[in-house]
Amino acid sequence: MSKFWLLATQLYKQKIRSKSFIFSTLLYVAIVSGIMFWSDIKAAIFSEEPLKIAMVNDTKQDFKEVFQSDDDVKFSFPTEDQATIEKQIKAEKLDAAVFLTEKDGRLNAEIVTYTPLEFNDQTKLSSMIQYAGKIYAVQQLHLTTKQAAQIIESQTPIHMKNLDMQKQDGKSEDEKAAGIGASILVGSIVYSIVISFLSIITTDVASEKGSRVLEVLLASVKPSTHFLAKITGTYLLAFSQVALLLVVQILLLLTVDDGSKWKKVAGVIENLSVSYVVYTLAYLILSIFLFLIVGALFGSLVSKVEEAGQTMMPVMFMGIAGFYVLMSGLYSPDTLLVKIFSFIPFTTVMVMPLRIGATDLSPTEPLIALIILIATVVVLFYVSLSFYKRSVLTYSSGGIIQKIKTVLKVTT
Amino acid sequence: MTLVIDQVTKRYQDFTAVDQLSFTIKKGEIFGLIGQNGAGKTTTFRMILDLQETTEGDITWNEQPMNKVNRDILGYLPEERGIFPTMAVEEQLYFFGILRGWTKKDLKKEVDYWIKRFDLEDKRKAKAETLSKGNQQKVQLIASFIHQPEFLILDEPFSGLDPVNRQLLMNAILFLKEKGTTILFSSHQMDNVEELCDHLCVLKKGASLFTGSLLDLKEQYGKIKLSIRSELEESQLNALPGVKRVKKTKDGYTLLLENELYGEQLFQILGKGKYMEKFSMDYLSLDEIFKDLVGGEHV
Repeated sequence: MSKFWLLATQLYKQKIRSKSFIFSTLLYVAIVSGIMFWSDIKAAIFSEEPLKIAMVNDTKQDFKEVFQSDDDVKFSFPTEDQATIEKQIKAEKLDAAVFLTEKDGRLNAEIVTYTPLEFNDQTKLSSMIQYAGKIYAVQQLHLTTKQAAQIIESQTPIHMKNLDMQKQDGKSEDEKAAGIGASILVGSIVYSIVISFLSIITTDVASEKGSRVLEVLLASVKPSTHFLAKITGTYLLAFSQVALLLVVQILLLLTVDDGSKWKKVAGVIENLSVSYVVYTLAYLILSIFLFLIVGALFGSLVSKVEEAGQTMMPVMFMGIAGFYVLMSGLYSPDTLLVKIFSFIPFTTVMVMPLRIGATDLSPTEPLIALIILIATVVVLFYVSLSFYKRSVLTYSSGGIIQKIKTVLKVTT
Repeated sequence: MTLVIDQVTKRYQDFTAVDQLSFTIKKGEIFGLIGQNGAGKTTTFRMILDLQETTEGDITWNEQPMNKVNRDILGYLPEERGIFPTMAVEEQLYFFGILRGWTKKDLKKEVDYWIKRFDLEDKRKAKAETLSKGNQQKVQLIASFIHQPEFLILDEPFSGLDPVNRQLLMNAILFLKEKGTTILFSSHQMDNVEELCDHLCVLKKGASLFTGSLLDLKEQYGKIKLSIRSELEESQLNALPGVKRVKKTKDGYTLLLENELYGEQLFQILGKGKYMEKFSMDYLSLDEIFKDLVGGEHV
């Protein structure tokens, strides 16, 4: 085994066997699974009774077709007066009652509850009432059933036509939704990798430096070999964690509920363009590399492991900033802020996939971002390597700027 | 096989850590580099190991520049403890052996031998961080030569060791010498240097004050330490010819002479032709010479 692989696998084996890594990986997998399968978990653990809602209709219109019961809500259509119904609500025999009346030719609704409805239930009920209101309004125009259906069911088909030849491949709504969904996934993975693996590589290098074992290692291997081995070992570790996460998710998607969720995910994947997948993978691979390079460099700057956390804060903030910009871009992916951050190498991986997936941008933009990212990785790698050689044996106190100054002072 | 350090200087922006240093170490020799803290010992070691570049001068091993030398022939024990805190003792030794190009199979015999010799049998599976400072030092020392290096550098190998373990370590160093290993080491404990070294270099603020054999150094000063048992007062002894300084000891007096040639004259004066219980002319100890060289006092 070469010295490079010995060092890389030593880091890998040591970390992958550590309790903290096993625990954090399991926790990570559990949290992601929990979010992905929340509706199933909720249904299994909290098997709630459906809401009982009485629809008291004082109009001549029949709304039974609109208010149809399902697993979450059970509608009834009692004929008792309001006082009796309200008594039933107070006695908790009913969760809510909706009194539909006519006022000025429009449908008027009053929702009566004893315990306020949950936000989701209220939203669902409100949208059903709005729909009933539209039907009622249309009915007042005395149209034929066909005419009424034409108005209510009407949806304007929108076709995009862009005269810019480069932007002709306009994305459908489904493709954009898939792009946003996949971007959230990529952004979350990158964010968690940045936070955990940046910390792993920085503290590992810092701990070797602090315990002086680095001097022994560097007497035997070149600093460049050590630097690359640290990055590779941590990369393998990150890859293992992401692979485990994906395998568990795929297995769960395939098995839970007879694979119904897998079909949805497959639908999303089908809607992703090839360029989206290629660019996102390229950004992902390069960005992890970028963060690990900086992590190793910062680890070499500190004198002891206790200082590692403080030193890597600026890089962590870059990751956090990228994640927040991604979140802000989920509703408006065309803002100037999103555009700017999609070209910053440290945040490209989180922001640019969103733009590729959810907007109709010029094909040159992702390419420019990729070139900037590659150039940054290459330049930073050589700069870091040159600095790493000098900083690993320099011990100083003070902040990061002071440490850099000390390294430059004692090595030039 | 020799290490040649030729006119080596290491200069930083505002100070010179090593200044025009030159010495040679022959194969199988134990060479001591002594000096106060900050004298430039560790910087010299790092330049030899190619961990730092020289500003001027050349360092060669068998006429090859150090950066061209196969690093597997080198062994290094840094001044501060350099082992993986959470790795078990045995695993640690295998790791460093494999790192220097050995196979696990070949290493087994060496690992077992040294673990037994250094009385670490019951600590085989213990994590390094749980060991005492002395035991950590022993593990680190074994790790530095488990691959049987041709050239071994030991930076302060005796610090933190009790007298029993110090002797254990001294014996190990002599054992390695017998097997042909060339050893360069630094120490603040001059008795260890005196006992082990064939040649030495005394550093002060990066510059060499003396380079050569221990005997040459002692002969340079001559036999100027006179130990006597006498009824004379300290002031009377001070007034004798050639006496630079007098120090009262538990067992008489120690006189520092200007020159060993005064010995015969003083023998006549003090003995007056009669029997004397004690009159002994000696070389200065390395500790005394060191203090004298770097500006302290001796005798």
